Amino acid sequence: MTAQSVEFSVTINARPTKILAHPGKRLSDALRTDLGLIGTKVGCDAGDCGACTVLIDGEPQCACLTPLSHVADREIATVEGLSADQLAPVQEAFLRHGAAQCGICTPGMLMAATALLANNPSPTPDQAEEALSGVLCRCTGYRKIIAAVCDVRDQHEKRLMPSAGHAVGAPVERLDGRQKVDGTEIFGADYRPSDALYVHVIRSPYHAAQFKFGDLAEFVESTPGVEAVFTADDIQGENVFGVIPPFADQPALAKDQARFMGEAVALVVGDQDFLTAMDLAPFPVVWTEIEANLDPLVAQTDKAPDIHSGRPNNVLITGNVKTGDPAAALSKAAHIVRGEMTTSFVEHAYIEPEAGSAWVDGEALVIQACTQAPYMDRADTARVLGLDPEKIRIIPTATGGGFGSKIDVSIQPLLGLVALKTGRPCHIVYTRSESMASTTKRHPGIMRASIGADTNGKIVGMHFDGDFDTGAYASWGPTVANRVPVHASGPYKTPNYLAQARAVHTNGPVSGAFRGFGVPQAASLQETLYDELAEKCGIDPLEFRRINALQDGDTSVCGQEMQGVGIRECLDALVPHWNAAKLAAVEFNRSSTTIKRGVGVASCWYGCGNTSLSNPSTIRLGITADGRLLLHQGAVDIGQGSNTVIPQICADALGLPLDQFELIGADTALTPDCGKTSASRQTFVTGKAAMLAGQELRRKILRMSNMSSDAVITLQDGKLTVAEQSTTREIKLDDLPSGEHGYVLHAEETYDPPTTPLDENGQGKPYAVYGYGAQMAEVEVDIKLGAVKVTNIVAAHDLGRVINPLLAEGQIEGGIAQGLGMALMEEYVPGRTANLHDYLIPTIGDMPPVQSILIEKTDPEGPMGAKGLGEHVLIPTAPAILNGIRHASGAKLTKLPALPHRVLRAIQEAKAPK
Amino acid sequence: MRYEAPETLDAAVRLLSSATGLTKILAGGTDLLVQMRTDVVEPEVIVDIKGIGEVRHIGEENGGFRIGAAITGAELEEHPTLSKIWPGVVEGANLIGSTQVQGRATMGGNLCNGSPAADSVPGLIAAAATATIAGPNGTREMAVEDIMTGPRQLAIAKDEFIVSFFLPARPANASDCYLRFIPRTEMDIAVVGCATCLVLDGSGKITDARVSLGAVAARPLLVKECADAIIGSTLDEAAMAKLDAAAQAACKPITDKRGTIEYRTKVAGVLARRTAKTAYDRAKG
Repeated sequence: MTAQSVEFSVTINARPTKILAHPGKRLSDALRTDLGLIGTKVGCDAGDCGACTVLIDGEPQCACLTPLSHVADREIATVEGLSADQLAPVQEAFLRHGAAQCGICTPGMLMAATALLANNPSPTPDQAEEALSGVLCRCTGYRKIIAAVCDVRDQHEKRLMPSAGHAVGAPVERLDGRQKVDGTEIFGADYRPSDALYVHVIRSPYHAAQFKFGDLAEFVESTPGVEAVFTADDIQGENVFGVIPPFADQPALAKDQARFMGEAVALVVGDQDFLTAMDLAPFPVVWTEIEANLDPLVAQTDKAPDIHSGRPNNVLITGNVKTGDPAAALSKAAHIVRGEMTTSFVEHAYIEPEAGSAWVDGEALVIQACTQAPYMDRADTARVLGLDPEKIRIIPTATGGGFGSKIDVSIQPLLGLVALKTGRPCHIVYTRSESMASTTKRHPGIMRASIGADTNGKIVGMHFDGDFDTGAYASWGPTVANRVPVHASGPYKTPNYLAQARAVHTNGPVSGAFRGFGVPQAASLQETLYDELAEKCGIDPLEFRRINALQDGDTSVCGQEMQGVGIRECLDALVPHWNAAKLAAVEFNRSSTTIKRGVGVASCWYGCGNTSLSNPSTIRLGITADGRLLLHQGAVDIGQGSNTVIPQICADALGLPLDQFELIGADTALTPDCGKTSASRQTFVTGKAAMLAGQELRRKILRMSNMSSDAVITLQDGKLTVAEQSTTREIKLDDLPSGEHGYVLHAEETYDPPTTPLDENGQGKPYAVYGYGAQMAEVEVDIKLGAVKVTNIVAAHDLGRVINPLLAEGQIEGGIAQGLGMALMEEYVPGRTANLHDYLIPTIGDMPPVQSILIEKTDPEGPMGAKGLGEHVLIPTAPAILNGIRHASGAKLTKLPALPHRVLRAIQEAKAPK
Repeated sequence: MRYEAPETLDAAVRLLSSATGLTKILAGGTDLLVQMRTDVVEPEVIVDIKGIGEVRHIGEENGGFRIGAAITGAELEEHPTLSKIWPGVVEGANLIGSTQVQGRATMGGNLCNGSPAADSVPGLIAAAATATIAGPNGTREMAVEDIMTGPRQLAIAKDEFIVSFFLPARPANASDCYLRFIPRTEMDIAVVGCATCLVLDGSGKITDARVSLGAVAARPLLVKECADAIIGSTLDEAAMAKLDAAAQAACKPITDKRGTIEYRTKVAGVLARRTAKTAYDRAKG
């Protein structure tokens, strides 16, 4: 692209600028690489996501679709131009409303909002929706963004931070928010070491194939711009990785055989401009396609060969939970329902494709990339490269959404291999298609269940059986197979129960972690069957759930005695909304013939942390001789808010104000292991470690000053002051000897949730803490087209003690958006939907208003009574919508997503005489 | 890859005629830049036509409208009178991509990209629009419905390109409407698209009609049977039922991830009804 460079004059953020580049170069590329304006993000390079939105002569346009030749002599505004010393009012509004979570879409949203606000300083929500409709967000569910754009205030406000002892429960703005709204946040693609080699991955074009390389040395020799090629033969360690070490089976680079479409087989390393422009068709690899197995039911028969030796019939693992005598209970039940549900691969569709860099720094290999799990990245990369883990430093960049997929390594071992082999820094940025084709998905489920109730509507027994397509490699398949049977009862008292779930290999994409680990799929069956069972019992669906809701002291299907159970409170909170919505639907439907309205409800429960496995977090907290208070916070904040919530907990445990904390991390060289950001565990597990560390440091200070636990501590001017009634004592910090980690005072605490292993019947204590929730969805169904529009959602969630209500609402709204996508539109088809125009995620117009009701049933184990929330929030959404569709139209869906053609067919089936 | 930005029709035609390798025309770039990024096309020459006056002109002509091929959807919407007279044409053009894409995407590009689901094409066909095509022998006129012959196939030679579209003069009591169906609220490719253009007499009887369907066959269709079903009627239920059936009968769709054959066929009938109703109400004023 450099053969025909032309000098262009443009005005960027009011500054005249010259760019020397090819006229066809994308503006997004020129801004980022030629001018270093990395605030403009690239999510798809196809005009689908809008992350690259800039203003050209005041109009919002996708910079990725704009050739440089079309901006000559024009004015361009980017996020970097919005603020100087002070944030612009629209940026302030985004912070105030929690409109930025991971922050990757934020620059695009801000620019679209800026164009709107220039003409219309006080837009209505509808006008804001219209203006922002071209920018996709996967974290927030859009509602807080709309609220922010409709609440831009001219005057700057001083941000109020909670005083000592009042951080927990306060709606504190994200502590890491400023860099997300001013464009300075560094995501995976935003830092590239100078002279970095670019890494391009050669991938399998087939679901299953054998392959052989030709003369690679000759290819390198004869191809300008290419410096090296690496294959599995260059890997010196053990060429497997996997999130659960005993099941690790995925090669960093496949050898001889590719097991899924998009699997990495070789790396071409060289100059970035050449590699992105060059035609890689001459790369010497010969493929021999072999018959692929894409059906998890066929995979278990003799018709399909085993994809991995030692896993007969392609069954990776079977999880089961059994209690009582379900067969007898169901045979005696007064009412029984049976049903099936099939779900699809769901793509995480974070707006940031995987990206990062690696280099060698002295003895250490440094990998800086987006991730959810730095210590697991380190372990897997060390295994593949044959290095001591201590020799690898993982520096997480800001992560532009993860939702489970960025727990597994993707680029890390590849970058490490290139940096080690070449001794030079290297850089990789996945394309949108590459990201979607090669990383993990939500497990498709094929599930069957029977549920029985007695004449009073009490559940007497349930049988659940599910096959989950775990794809070509194990990833989180074992977790899904174990979590599903534990949760498939829903948060209801189920005395007789048998649930089995199998994780089954196919040549599909690798299924891994995705917000809920199989539980949303199972709930879509169980909660829709509950509506049918309620109908058979002649009981209102919400009342039916209230009757059966677990309560404190009840035993779960695993035989665990439950405490802090808030499901009943969640359902109770929905009652007035439910009654009003049902009446409104009846009224609406009286006069509307084509559009029919309905209301649905569904519940969730979800155990926080790993299932019956150790998953500790360690938090370090220290005070320096010059009076700084540092928190080593290793829980990766992928947008969910751990950079804010963990300090809030720690602040109140220690008794110092939140704004005195300086945050360090996450970074394997600087922060102790806080585990992975997954399983709704960070607020609970890392939060508890932060509470313990704060309490321990407080104890040390009180002991030094010989004060009681009621004393008030202040940290100012290099000294600690401890006061109680009339006594005040001072600790001069620079008088104290500097100890471990360079602190004069420090505490380091580890917390690991107390669980017990499950026995052969799945009996035990799989989780120490559970969270609960119930959601109500109002929908409108166009019965001629089968189109469904969700018009309102009320979500009641029991998250125990609420640490930060602003961020909690953001989690709820964002989870609902993903649940809505799973319910209505998201279906990943390998080889056909690896982009954001064939794979649809909800846009701003798809998201209804959400009313969040936070229920605080405190947990005896969680820090200050807190529970997890991140995954719970999407579990009830899909079944609530399905129940609403059935209420509106009679359509009973047995396959997700409920695409219009499926809904229309189900409407016709419901009408057909039985 | 060579980049050229001719400033006259002749210069553009000369470039197209003399080029040997793959040559692509750049207008808004919303399809071409994506195809280049994903290596679907790797042109040797790009001819950027945005510097040519004729393709960027929009204005009234002989009682109708002349719209340059590189006029964007956003510019169409901003035109002071076009949306009032041809609301359906503007609706179609304004459904190409998001707001951020509408500032770039053009009707000429949307047609020449050759997708049977192109949102702006049924509206042009229903409007009886013609295209002015420049080539080595000067310019020629062609009905829009004759231009796309199949997926990615056009009745336009390698050394030709579309300069502009012409929307004919409108009688009184006339209007149009375009609707498309997608599973989400915005930014998607049509499962089915339908445009209906109607002329009424003073009593509300339909005297002329054109109905076009997108995404239900290998190219956008002009369905004469749909027009026949409603001409002479006041769009009563009997006429509507005939229209619905004619639209369904015209469909030769495929099953893909966006919809099945059965579903697309049904939706075509529903959208024909709904566009006819809206166009009728608009024409009555």
